[in-house]
Amino acid sequence: MEYTLGIDVGSSFIKIALIEYSDNPKIIEITNEKIRKRNPTILINKAVNDLLERHNLKYEELLYVASTGEGELVERKRGHFYSMTTHAKGAFHFHPETKTVVDMGALFCRVMSLESGSRVKNYAMTGQCASGSGQFLENITRYLGVTIDEVGPLSLESKEPAKLSGICAVLAETDVINMVSQGIATSDIIKGIHESIARRIVSLLSKLKVESPVALSGGMSQDVGLVEVIKQLADERNLSLEIFATKNCYANGAIGAALWGGYRHYKLLEVAQ
Amino acid sequence: MDIQKENSMIKQKHMLAEQFIELSQVKETGKKVVYTFVPGNLTELIYAFDMLPVYPEINSLQSGMRQKSKEYIQEAEDMGYSEDVCSYVKCDIGMMLQGNIGPTGQQLPNPDILLLSYTGCFVFMKWFENLKQLYPNAEIAMLHIPYQESGKIEANAVKYIKDQLINEVIPTFEKVSGQKFDNDKLGEKMDLSAKAEELLIEIFDSAENTPSPIDAYFGGVYYIGPIFTAFRGSEDCLEYYQELLKEVNYRVANKLGPITPEGYMKEEKFRLVVEGPPNWTHFRGFWKLFYDMGAVFVGSTYTRVGGVYDDGFRHSSNDSIKSMAEYCLGCYTNRNIPQRIDLIESFITKYKANGFLVNSIKSCNSFSAGQLVMMRDLEERLEIPVGFIETDLVDPRYYSYSNIKNRLDSFFQMLDQRQSFNIGDDIVPDDVLT
Repeated sequence: MEYTLGIDVGSSFIKIALIEYSDNPKIIEITNEKIRKRNPTILINKAVNDLLERHNLKYEELLYVASTGEGELVERKRGHFYSMTTHAKGAFHFHPETKTVVDMGALFCRVMSLESGSRVKNYAMTGQCASGSGQFLENITRYLGVTIDEVGPLSLESKEPAKLSGICAVLAETDVINMVSQGIATSDIIKGIHESIARRIVSLLSKLKVESPVALSGGMSQDVGLVEVIKQLADERNLSLEIFATKNCYANGAIGAALWGGYRHYKLLEVAQ
Repeated sequence: MDIQKENSMIKQKHMLAEQFIELSQVKETGKKVVYTFVPGNLTELIYAFDMLPVYPEINSLQSGMRQKSKEYIQEAEDMGYSEDVCSYVKCDIGMMLQGNIGPTGQQLPNPDILLLSYTGCFVFMKWFENLKQLYPNAEIAMLHIPYQESGKIEANAVKYIKDQLINEVIPTFEKVSGQKFDNDKLGEKMDLSAKAEELLIEIFDSAENTPSPIDAYFGGVYYIGPIFTAFRGSEDCLEYYQELLKEVNYRVANKLGPITPEGYMKEEKFRLVVEGPPNWTHFRGFWKLFYDMGAVFVGSTYTRVGGVYDDGFRHSSNDSIKSMAEYCLGCYTNRNIPQRIDLIESFITKYKANGFLVNSIKSCNSFSAGQLVMMRDLEERLEIPVGFIETDLVDPRYYSYSNIKNRLDSFFQMLDQRQSFNIGDDIVPDDVLT
């Protein structure tokens, strides 16, 4: 059996995917490490060593080790792939019908339309303000006294979503603090935040005139509440898009890097022969 | 690190230094001083009356490059200017409040005339209203330039400007300078301008070469364009462009790229056209983000703010007053959005650009209005990757390195993939994947 490794270094989490590479690749394990205030390079080395040890593998036995995201922080690797390309590959490989990918990360959201398989045709990003990002959502959980895992289910319970500023993270945070003091239900505040983030994403989908289906990717894709609101708002704007998130799609970047690594390895062999 | 200097750059530095010395000596020489703006400037006319121009926008951008703008802006905000007001204005006002010390460390003289000739930016009007309060003894000369709403220069607009020049601007110049208007003297300066304009366009068009011997944005504002506004109509200006063209031709002959702060650009990977002014407070770092990636700007709109010569307009002594009117009407910011899009399209096509970038300025609504429409329109017309970043002119608080870098990373990824099917850096050639 042959294995490839993909390491996606984000600004908040490091995702590592170990893939059994063949004509029909399989995900062996995905690890997800929160950086917090730790040194990312040391963290990556330890996470890779631990992962290989769990599967009785040695680094030298890996077919290809690929980085994506902030790849310069990965000391041991054979190649680096652009993050748009890896997110597209990760989403497309397991769902070949995918025409659009939305990468929802800690710092920004980015919509990519695909062509000829997983090739990125075009892209659009949220503006400079942090109010459309995962980090913003995480900051808000501190004011609300909830964990990030509770955010999605709470949003689904909301009866009357609160109205927040959708243009500025600072204004939105002030809105939230004010709402907490007014005793507005946490679920309604969270859904209000989800609506503000989702509006930005749906606006990008509309602007780029994307095709369906749309695969969600990145850390925020695991937030069931946000996913639901994105679907609702896309329907309200009659975009006619099938939008889906899968169990491992938060790690599409790492998965895509591992897949591109295996592909590139065999292409090189072909060229050498 | 010092930027590599060529003869033209040394000449430019010398000419600017001379001008500031001349400005600092007006008490002794008796020369009169005209404060005015870059877009729609009447430099030839000012020199025809032996007066000296001062451009508050240029003072502001130089304060930005010298890291002085933050304290000047703070000074203006303490006085009551809002955070949303144009940072050029606040920087200029702050500089004046702190003694009006120019970029060479010498005090700039007070204005004898505030010449409000402007195109496209209505903030200019408020700016000079405020300067009038600071300098109550200065004469005001107003030259209103109608916006090109119809997309072409109309005869009645030319007449309207000519009337203002004849009835208001020139009489004010005569009164303050004590000289009678001399049409022949103005004509000589117009002819010199026309010659320099030919050279300027030849230099801009050198970007048709691969690699491009110039960077039409960073180089454009650093050493190609600045000399143009302040010295147009002078022999020195003509000599400067003759020297610069020689250097550009040398680079073309030797297949050399433009000069960056780290020497000749080594590899030209991306050819870009850009809309919007640059950021001045982080000028070198901002530039580095591009040349490190092998990105060269082959066309820019900001270098056309002081005049558009790409479509054949040249200053002319045939009817100097009419020529000045047509010049003002044709400036980039005085054109409507479809005209601006057409001009950018012509740059992209002519200079074989493979990407278009907008640098939107937070505190400049006049320039930034319509940029998203322009971007989408060009994306659809030409099917090229487009990018959008935000900075400011001289307010360093708006410069967020990480945000700019994130957005440029995506833009370059898209360009790389479209251009060469490259999907990342590797130890192997990327074309094995294609």
